[in-house]
Amino acid sequence: MTVVITAGSLVLAGCGSKQEAKTAGAAQSGTLAIGASLTLTGKLAREGLLTKEGYQLCQDKVNAKGGVDIGGKKAKLDIQYQDDTSKPDVAAQLVDQFNDKGIKLILGSYGSANTEAQAAVVERNGQVMADSAGADNKIFSKGYKRTFAVLSPATEYASSIVKAIAELATPKPKTVVFLSADDGFSKTVTEGGMKTAKDLGFTVLDPQYFPNGATDVSSALTKVKGQKPDVIIGSVHLVEGVAIVKQAKELGVTPLGFGESVAPPTPDFAKTLGALAENVLGSSQWTQATAGQDKYFGTAKDYAKDIQAKFGHAPEYHNAEATAACLAFVLAVEKAGSSDVNKVRDALAGLDADSFFGKIKFDPSGQNIYKPMSVIQIQNGKAVTVWPKESAEAKMIWPGTK
Amino acid sequence: MSAFLQATVYGLLQGGLLALVAVGFSLVWGVMNVVNLAHGAFVILGAYVGWEMNQWFGLDPFLGMFISAAVLFVLGYATQRLLINLVVNGPIFITLLLTFGLELLLVQGMNLAFSADYRSIETSYASQSLVLGGVRVPVGRLLAFGLAVAITILLVAVVNRTRTGMSIMATGMDRGAARLMGIRARHVYALTFGIAAGLAGMAGAMIGTVGTFSPSAAGAFTLMSFVVAVLGGLGNMYGALIGGLVIGLVQAWGGQYLPGTWVNALAFLVLIVVLIFRPTGLAGKAFYAARLEV
Repeated sequence: MTVVITAGSLVLAGCGSKQEAKTAGAAQSGTLAIGASLTLTGKLAREGLLTKEGYQLCQDKVNAKGGVDIGGKKAKLDIQYQDDTSKPDVAAQLVDQFNDKGIKLILGSYGSANTEAQAAVVERNGQVMADSAGADNKIFSKGYKRTFAVLSPATEYASSIVKAIAELATPKPKTVVFLSADDGFSKTVTEGGMKTAKDLGFTVLDPQYFPNGATDVSSALTKVKGQKPDVIIGSVHLVEGVAIVKQAKELGVTPLGFGESVAPPTPDFAKTLGALAENVLGSSQWTQATAGQDKYFGTAKDYAKDIQAKFGHAPEYHNAEATAACLAFVLAVEKAGSSDVNKVRDALAGLDADSFFGKIKFDPSGQNIYKPMSVIQIQNGKAVTVWPKESAEAKMIWPGTK
Repeated sequence: MSAFLQATVYGLLQGGLLALVAVGFSLVWGVMNVVNLAHGAFVILGAYVGWEMNQWFGLDPFLGMFISAAVLFVLGYATQRLLINLVVNGPIFITLLLTFGLELLLVQGMNLAFSADYRSIETSYASQSLVLGGVRVPVGRLLAFGLAVAITILLVAVVNRTRTGMSIMATGMDRGAARLMGIRARHVYALTFGIAAGLAGMAGAMIGTVGTFSPSAAGAFTLMSFVVAVLGGLGNMYGALIGGLVIGLVQAWGGQYLPGTWVNALAFLVLIVVLIFRPTGLAGKAFYAARLEV
């Protein structure tokens, strides 16, 4: 990674007062280029755009403060975007292309499949990646040393819901069934959730799988209807998550409560389902109640205001995890005092920082070890944090279905 | 047993809707030998029109779907008249490429116009269910099924009994002879494509009511239309209905008794088996295979 001195910035420096030119003299203002391949079109276009917004806000906020401080010299962040059309092989190729251009710092694409493909290339090319949205534990089980994820791993998505129910639901439900999409990420979510449920003394029924992106999950629901589970937990994305709640109503499947990974914190979930969304539990990487702050973004509430002001919508956790990944790079470069890729890598590995996203500190496999997930519940059409207790905004309503 | 009945009912309802999605695709393929890869995008566009009507004018989606149909008819007519007619005599790869490009344009256009957010047209009744002896029949899906079957039958009647319909069939069988009889093939083609797009739009509005949609779902609908049309037999409108119902049932039963992730593979397996024994599809007629291309 090199600090690129552009002609434009020299001109700008030339325009400054002489005093400035002396103190900042050696501070040849340059740019810090970071490559980001994103799912801007294709099936993950929606999440890709949210991720881009997160990266963009990071660039704007950091540059508004003069840029990244690299050993006393300020460099403007310059994130270069490419569209990987939601395809893992394209995402991996784009990382190679960035490498050919000399760009060694990579911000991850959206989703586990793309990130997993990128991580292998990053490792081979000696680049370093801040992973914002690849949560599958598999990414971190391969001994990679150059991928660092700010988000909680996939196993936590359903586990956190199970823990919240075990802790807060009265009367405590007895049986749990998992309905899961069949992609790698969702399966890992299911495995993690089932293990936690067994450990906490629930009777866990056989999980039911359906194709990733299915709009019809009626077969899975018909199969579990006869078993009368107390809790149905979906390891899903938005489409399947909406289908579970909608078709459960059509088919008369009425557990005490629904929990779903990924889908409920997305505003589309409540919008699409209307009243049916009420009291559905979900897990979120970040909520506006998350504790912690940093010098660029302030607290989670400040961050929410910035997203609202810049993009005209309430923040989603996809925004926040993207910004957090970018922030991790900025902090690591500042800590390293260099934009050299190996020094940045070492600085990331040793990073221990507080942020609007919570604490960021990586274990040797590259996962953020301290960050808990929050559990939210849709109450009156809004997602409110109900777990963990210390950051709860409201009490969990149980049973969730009437 | 009640699980089996439930799966059967649900599969039939789903199949009826699939049939309406596919019937236009099958018509265009059968009459013009154009495999319209933008068909799924038309379905989604119809859903957006229905959604907008519901959002801005509070129009019930089962009324809004007629507006979807009208909008899509005009769009389809214009697309064929101004665009596809230019290359309709060319090799099939050219029309494939053209409609593939159209699909990309439409899907990305919808991404920009409506964002990639998932949507659903909300009604108070679509998720309610009638309970018949332990089997639940969702009202929205039942309505959609009834309409899908009625529209398919109506389409068959139009094609077989009206002058316009017969000119469509005639052009499909032998364009040269049809033109000699004074049929304006260019107009008939555009009309056919318009009807197909209109039906896709209607199906889209219903899908938006009973399920969710976003621009990226377009490809899946094209693929399903392909399977249903080939399974039922090309150019035969009853073929699409039969194909749709068979696929709906196969997926429902397969989902019930096999691991749930196999349903798509199963749909294609059924297609392969049918094609081995009946290469013209379940209801296909031999003369389509032997028709003249002039």
